[in-house]
Amino acid sequence: MTAETSLIPDEAKAMIGSEAGRASGRVVKQEFQRWAAAVKDRNPLYFDADFARAHGYRDVVMPPMYLSHVTHGVADLDTLRPDGIPGGGGGDLPLPHTPRRMAGGENITWHHPVYDGDELTSVRVIEKIEEKHGRSGDFVLVTSRTSYVNQDGVTVAEAVGSMIARP
Amino acid sequence: MADQTYFEDVSVGDSIPTLAVTVDPTQMFFFSAATYNGHRIHYDKTWATEVEGYPDILVHGPLQAALLARAVTDWVGADGRLVSYAIQNRASAFPGEELRFVGTVTAKHDADDGGHGLVDLEIHGEKGEAEVLMPGTATVSLPKRG
Amino acid sequence: MKNERRLLKNSTDQRMRVSTEESLIPPQASKLIGTEQARATGIVEKKQFQRWAAAVKDRNPLYFDAGFARAHGYRDVVAPPLYVQYVTLGVTDQATLRPDGTPGGQSGDIPLPHAPRRMAGGETWQFHAPLYDGDVITATRRVDDITEKHGRSGRFVLVTWLAEYRNQDDVIVAEARSSMIARP
Repeated sequence: MTAETSLIPDEAKAMIGSEAGRASGRVVKQEFQRWAAAVKDRNPLYFDADFARAHGYRDVVMPPMYLSHVTHGVADLDTLRPDGIPGGGGGDLPLPHTPRRMAGGENITWHHPVYDGDELTSVRVIEKIEEKHGRSGDFVLVTSRTSYVNQDGVTVAEAVGSMIARP
Repeated sequence: MADQTYFEDVSVGDSIPTLAVTVDPTQMFFFSAATYNGHRIHYDKTWATEVEGYPDILVHGPLQAALLARAVTDWVGADGRLVSYAIQNRASAFPGEELRFVGTVTAKHDADDGGHGLVDLEIHGEKGEAEVLMPGTATVSLPKRG
Repeated sequence: MKNERRLLKNSTDQRMRVSTEESLIPPQASKLIGTEQARATGIVEKKQFQRWAAAVKDRNPLYFDAGFARAHGYRDVVAPPLYVQYVTLGVTDQATLRPDGTPGGQSGDIPLPHAPRRMAGGETWQFHAPLYDGDVITATRRVDDITEKHGRSGRFVLVTWLAEYRNQDDVIVAEARSSMIARP
């Protein structure tokens, strides 16, 4: 693929290895319980403190997959992209040739339980930006690594995730 | 938000700045999420039109009420406050329509606290020619220049 | 006392009417007047009330900027006044929803079998004290009145509720009177 036909502009390539986003958020029990209810996951570890304590936790525990939502903030509706996704902010890569977005995959390792009241800080670094050739055409695959650290400086989880950007 | 409005500068008959809003489905989705409201008439167009017979998804009554309150709180400024607020749900609104939230001062009273005064307002939300969606009243506390 | 007089008045009216018109309000509804229908607790959470304000596009710095709020006499950012009604909504199990997505089986339902068509009336709020991140709010709702009325389009029942919101210090932060119209 020649430079003129590349879907990845130089400004995006320049961001590889850099911190793309940093955010903090408080873990709120009602919020992770509402998430579990939306997923129809009634696991008592998330809802029943006595049950959780009987199984070695100190309180109800955050569902592992709620992790990335802790540090989502407050979206100003006037800064949304036309497709409704939050725009701007540190994580928005300049990929003007490939505006359509979809999640690729995720690989998450959870090290420690997360509880109501914990403060998490997430730091995201862009690891790779690759042009790929799929069955439905060419697309860009962005791979990022995110670490989640709590108020005691403990890394509670790490995630490697990818985003698909299509023309 | 406007600059601070002071009690002495307000007269009966004054209008507060009109808040004009055209609601879109994305805002309606965020409002349903923020109010933890799963009522399909606000986000499911097939349900709203085919099952309940509306022309489109409906703008939430509480969103209209919140926008009307915002018109008032934007006017009272950071040193004023909303004391009481009353509205009636009269007619429906749909996304894409320009909604206007307005208010007029109807009375002024001194409050017990010497630093503030109370102001009564007639307020309402309307659309189109002047179709009233939500009539109401409000009482606010405004600081005195002192 | 007030409820007793009202019930006596209804039964007097019924005796005097020549049974052409049955009351729209059955006894099991009238006896709910004055009773507490719902009580719930919740915690005020800053990001949640900020998301509500953002959904209304209300960027009032009193809700977002702690320095600004303190400069205007508050001890932290405050919740938008109308947000108080959402603090105690809790967690909903989707299996309990009605087909239209509204919460099912609420204790606040008034049995009015002869007046099944429902319409929201209005609401009146009094705001007494600010709400801060971390405040624990207890909301109680009681039936204030149930009366039959005659309007231009016929008979209807007007149900009024009174909601009271108190914080962890038992300070009443807000109250609301709301009404519902039920038609045959």
